[in-house]
Amino acid sequence: MDLTINEKRVLVALAEVKSVDAAVLAEKLNASVEAVAQWAHLCADRGLVNLEMKVSEIVVLTEEGRKYADEGLPERQILVSIDRPTSIAELAKHPLSKIAIGWLKKKDWITIDKGIVTAKLDVPERADELVLRRIRENMGKDILQTTSGGCGELIKRGLAEISKMVSWNVSITPEGESATAAGLDIREEVGTLSREQILSGKWKSLPLRRYSVNKLPKKIYGGRVHPNQQILDEIRSLLFGMGFTEFHGSIVQNAFWNFDALYQPQDHPAREMQDTFHLGEEMELPAGWEKIREIHTTGGCTGSTGWGGEWSPNIARKCVLRTHSTPLSIQYLAQNPKPPAKAFSISRVYRRETIDPTHLPEFEQLEGIVMDRDLTFGHLLGFFKEFFSRIGFESVRFRPGYFPYTEPSVEPEVWVDGLGWVELGGAGLFRKEVTTPWGIDCPVLAWGLGVSRVSMLRMGLTDLRQLYRSDTDWIRASPVRRVQLCR
Amino acid sequence: MPIIKLNNTYLERLMKTDIKTIRDNLPMMGSEVEREEENQTDVQFFPNRPDLYSAEGTARAMRGYLGIETGLPIYTVKPSGISFSIDPRLADIRPYLGSAVIRNVHMDNAMIESLMDLQESLHGAVGRGRKKVAIGVHDLDMVKGPFSYIAAERSTAFVPLDYDVSMTMDQILAEHPMGRAYAKIVEGMPLFPLIHDAKGNVCSFPPIINGELTRITEETKNILLDVTGTEPRAVMIAVNIICAAMVEMSATIESVDVDGTVTPTLAPSVRMVSVQDCNALVGIAITAEEMKDLLERMRFGAEIVDTDHVRVTIPCYRADIMHDHDIYEDVAIAYGYDKIPAVPPTTFAVGKPHPVQEVYSLVRSILVGFTYVENTPFTLTNSNVSYRMMKRPENPAALHVLHPISEDQTIIRTDILPMLMGSLSINRSRELPQRIFACGDVVENLVTYPKIAATSIHPAADFSEIYAVVDAFCRVLALPYEVSESVDPAFIDGRCGDVYVDRKKVGVFGEISPEVLGAFGLEHPVAAFEMDLSCLL
Repeated sequence: MDLTINEKRVLVALAEVKSVDAAVLAEKLNASVEAVAQWAHLCADRGLVNLEMKVSEIVVLTEEGRKYADEGLPERQILVSIDRPTSIAELAKHPLSKIAIGWLKKKDWITIDKGIVTAKLDVPERADELVLRRIRENMGKDILQTTSGGCGELIKRGLAEISKMVSWNVSITPEGESATAAGLDIREEVGTLSREQILSGKWKSLPLRRYSVNKLPKKIYGGRVHPNQQILDEIRSLLFGMGFTEFHGSIVQNAFWNFDALYQPQDHPAREMQDTFHLGEEMELPAGWEKIREIHTTGGCTGSTGWGGEWSPNIARKCVLRTHSTPLSIQYLAQNPKPPAKAFSISRVYRRETIDPTHLPEFEQLEGIVMDRDLTFGHLLGFFKEFFSRIGFESVRFRPGYFPYTEPSVEPEVWVDGLGWVELGGAGLFRKEVTTPWGIDCPVLAWGLGVSRVSMLRMGLTDLRQLYRSDTDWIRASPVRRVQLCR
Repeated sequence: MPIIKLNNTYLERLMKTDIKTIRDNLPMMGSEVEREEENQTDVQFFPNRPDLYSAEGTARAMRGYLGIETGLPIYTVKPSGISFSIDPRLADIRPYLGSAVIRNVHMDNAMIESLMDLQESLHGAVGRGRKKVAIGVHDLDMVKGPFSYIAAERSTAFVPLDYDVSMTMDQILAEHPMGRAYAKIVEGMPLFPLIHDAKGNVCSFPPIINGELTRITEETKNILLDVTGTEPRAVMIAVNIICAAMVEMSATIESVDVDGTVTPTLAPSVRMVSVQDCNALVGIAITAEEMKDLLERMRFGAEIVDTDHVRVTIPCYRADIMHDHDIYEDVAIAYGYDKIPAVPPTTFAVGKPHPVQEVYSLVRSILVGFTYVENTPFTLTNSNVSYRMMKRPENPAALHVLHPISEDQTIIRTDILPMLMGSLSINRSRELPQRIFACGDVVENLVTYPKIAATSIHPAADFSEIYAVVDAFCRVLALPYEVSESVDPAFIDGRCGDVYVDRKKVGVFGEISPEVLGAFGLEHPVAAFEMDLSCLL
């Protein structure tokens, strides 16, 4: 049995007296009652001592009561101050008079005649005062074991209250006695080794404290990357491995890049203020913007009919918070129009949505493009199968989709046990109306992914808000998850 | 996207197949089944296919997709002898009108409801909330041609739908529920659009409300359709979609003479497409014959010209065919997305991170090494948190959104530190010490740039602690920096420093002012720093 030094000290002390109050034991061991009770509990767990809890009712003075124990009750203080017949008005000037006068009358310590107060002489100490005095004489230990006599009155006056006191009686068991009889080493145990003890070799002869592996250690929290960012980083490295280069861009876009360059007609409902965060600022249009106007109105040289109607450069200049990361894709392509290209980004995007468990006004979108000669829609589907399997979704199906800037378009869905087919994004081949103005003459596979949804599925979250709330306890408690390993 | 409610029994009758087959195939035809009930199926179609926004349109497409009835639907349109004139004064008000006469209508309540639903869905998808296109249907036998589409005085009065008293058009805008809902569209116009018959009976006040006189009932045998709007293509597509749906209800369509133009013709348009281009786009290898079959299943007409060319006739209700690729997509859908060989692209490229993201990864690993925990707060915030609670002056370079959705999100952040203070506030009851950081984009004027901020809260957090972190941070980044005493009202005076790199101020650090702590409801000292990371790019 590996007893700690303190448990041994308790047993040795008990061996003489057999049974004792914890307070007495504490005095003997020169420790606090709380500490002794704790050591005795440990001994009791091993069956070496018995612990008996005693609860007694005691009277404890309130703050006001303690004050009067020192200074005397208000009525006594006033009584002493009256050295001749005094008017009530005069008496009322005494700061304690409000409390005192009633009690003086009730205790019959004064007589009042026509407004003149006369004090009785040599009034003896009453039971309530006796109680207070006993406490004063008891060196300020304001604890009484009785509720009789003056205590009742003090409690009624709010000068004292009844409280419960817990005390412990500790007694040694036969097992404890035989353990003590066998001899206990009560030399101080050594915890942390000192440099000197290590170098001198003294440690060999020292009683080294044994630590219990059953006692859990204190919890520590290291620094860490946010669990969502960890998943995003995993996806990023996966895409680097597939040969994709990352792009990054401005949160603020003009409508030209956010919508017009992506062949969204200027009266498209998504552009209205209900869905998009508009800003008061404007941004100049890039060189060659006239081609976009031509494409919208007539289709230009793309073989398209265009949308018809009007197209206004003023509307195109107006700034919005990017509603998707596709404006970054098309700008990347406009700067790198020669094949091949493989690029992606994970970017915050902004939608005018009220916050609820499944909607946020901002969230991360993963977006990517592949541009090369001879690419087909089948390659896009092939990319998805490969990518989804790498992030842990084996079953993928493809449904027709619609986006103004892609054709053909597809909405890939993955199978999630318990949820069924879950839509994870949208994709397609960029329309000619989108690529031609920038001198791109080969197919571009474009895909977007609701990457927050992937994170939520991976972390088993049902509330999207959790990803951005930064609840310290949640981050501390979240295990590190690796996208590829949590199938 | 509008939700289309399809009556199962009606759909089965139109489709000539059972509801299970229909439901199983809807997703692969490009719709989302929202809800399945015993008598009803709610579906969503994409906004480019308003022709599917009715049981009739869905059934027509689905019969083709399932091979029950394929090829181009043929419509015959006889002239009705009815004519319409358009007031030239409408040129600046609502210039375009399309019309048709629909005869031999036998509508039960379900069909009337279907027609009304289609009308409403088209108002949203094609009509942009009636602004671009508005549709009216009238019991033709209650009125008599020729009809006039005029710009009328606003004091013109008639009995609007659902009312039994005559009201002026101004009154209708002020009092009628439809008037109030759509008044914005005609706001400020000196004259209002109005349609009346030969005797001056009012049929409609487009785009607001029809007259009660021409209400459609189960007794209605013949319908006059009016579609008005601001864009001629959209007006005609709405006419075509309604007429084609009515044909599915066994009605016959007759044309109307609108100022000499016969409308509608319901004639298909023609495109010559290439089998080879289609194969190259989709990634399949079909022959002209196979392509013809697939096109016919999508209800196109198709005629093989040679091994590479197919002449496609496009039904008049298809608003979405703007380019050959739109036709190739339909071929791919009919072929079946799941049957297309899915082969990953072999394009070779070497992947690499973007410099900004690389900097973020780098500073993340450094701060984690200092036992800081990452937060990923919102970038949308408000002036109160960003400036007032920080006791800092407002930043004039902050961008304000025009129509915020809540008071919490009115600007894009210019600093990250206030978001971390907010996070400490949320985590008040969590175990201390808490050391947190966040890195990410901020925006000033129109420029997005990277920043990092970090805070430490615990009873002993102080200036020296955070100075040591800033120093270590710059040292491991090999960033030569200088520090000077600074005055920032967010920090305690005399416990705050500015960080300079190349003589440019890039950051600030120190002990947060107790006034700021109070604003965030914090009770322990907080030491913090924030830095612009552009100097690392």
